[in-house]
Amino acid sequence: EDVILQQKVEVDNTLAMERIRETIRLDPSLPWTETLVVSYPETIDADVDDDLNREMAFYKQALHCAKEAKALAAKHSFPFTRPADYFAEMVKSDAHMERIRQRILDETSSIKRSE
Amino acid sequence: MDIDETPPPKKLRNKQRVLMLSSRGITHRMRHLMNDLETLLPHVKKDAKLDSKNHLNLLPELADLNNCNNALYFEARRHEDLYLWAAKTPNGPSIKMHVQNVHTMDELKMTGNCLKGSRGILSFDKAFDESEWGRLTKEVFTHIFGVPPQARKAKPFIDHILTFSILDNKIWFRNFQIVEKDPLQPNGPPQTTLVEIGPRFVLTPIRIFEGAFGGATVFSNPEFVSPAAVRAALNKERGIRYKNRKF
Repeated sequence: EDVILQQKVEVDNTLAMERIRETIRLDPSLPWTETLVVSYPETIDADVDDDLNREMAFYKQALHCAKEAKALAAKHSFPFTRPADYFAEMVKSDAHMERIRQRILDETSSIKRSE
Repeated sequence: MDIDETPPPKKLRNKQRVLMLSSRGITHRMRHLMNDLETLLPHVKKDAKLDSKNHLNLLPELADLNNCNNALYFEARRHEDLYLWAAKTPNGPSIKMHVQNVHTMDELKMTGNCLKGSRGILSFDKAFDESEWGRLTKEVFTHIFGVPPQARKAKPFIDHILTFSILDNKIWFRNFQIVEKDPLQPNGPPQTTLVEIGPRFVLTPIRIFEGAFGGATVFSNPEFVSPAAVRAALNKERGIRYKNRKF
């Protein structure tokens, strides 16, 4: 039986990509507060199939960047933390948060019952 | 006395608006993911479903009509596979990606919450700076997922962080709430912790095109196998097993 080998053509035109990046690049003199981008100085080294360690690595990245962003915000005298008396619409509604809370309560009570 | 009347230097602005739309035939999970992104990104303009899957060249025009300079297009295939196009309009580039492992905010596992329309911090890991496609992707994502300060519905405080990480040649997306309170000592010094808000998804880059929704390919991922091919291979294997048993 003949097997047709399909060779995938790989394209990695770094020169073109660099040129494109130059054309769309934001002005480097933009203050940080315009973009709020923070780079993490490490790569993620975790086993893809190991859910716990993988999520931990993402969490570490986010935490590191959040702290750095807070320092940067302080440097640019940019409001960061929401004051306790500032209320506005949230992405998840109160009803939704109540369902989440109820679920956590149910879970903890079922754990207690099984003990 | 000489009067030097130069106009004040024009203040530099990061002006971005994103058009978001999908093809026909998306499932509820895909629709919920789109809704989540819409609530998180106040500079997104959502448009009606695109009728045709073959005329993507209409999209730059559509973005222009909506005063958008970026586009996010969700393309559903066979009612199960989801592809995402992230493009700069009208001149490109555009990145085509395969979306997997979608979890939306509606799921009850993730307990975080944040202001609707607050500007999120964008965090990229170092792997983005190590390859040219990574750098280009980082630039495009900065435009699309970064909420510009003058976005109409943006809130003045920061309470969540969007993280993009490259692992296994895929881009992993997570969204965390930034909590600045120690749950054990509410009156003690504030301690930064994170609670996940959602959504979650994983993007596999497939191709990067020079233009918006077309043009020359400048990058293609040699490792990408289409999900239909994966399913076909699985079916074939099952077929072979059946054949061996039968004859």
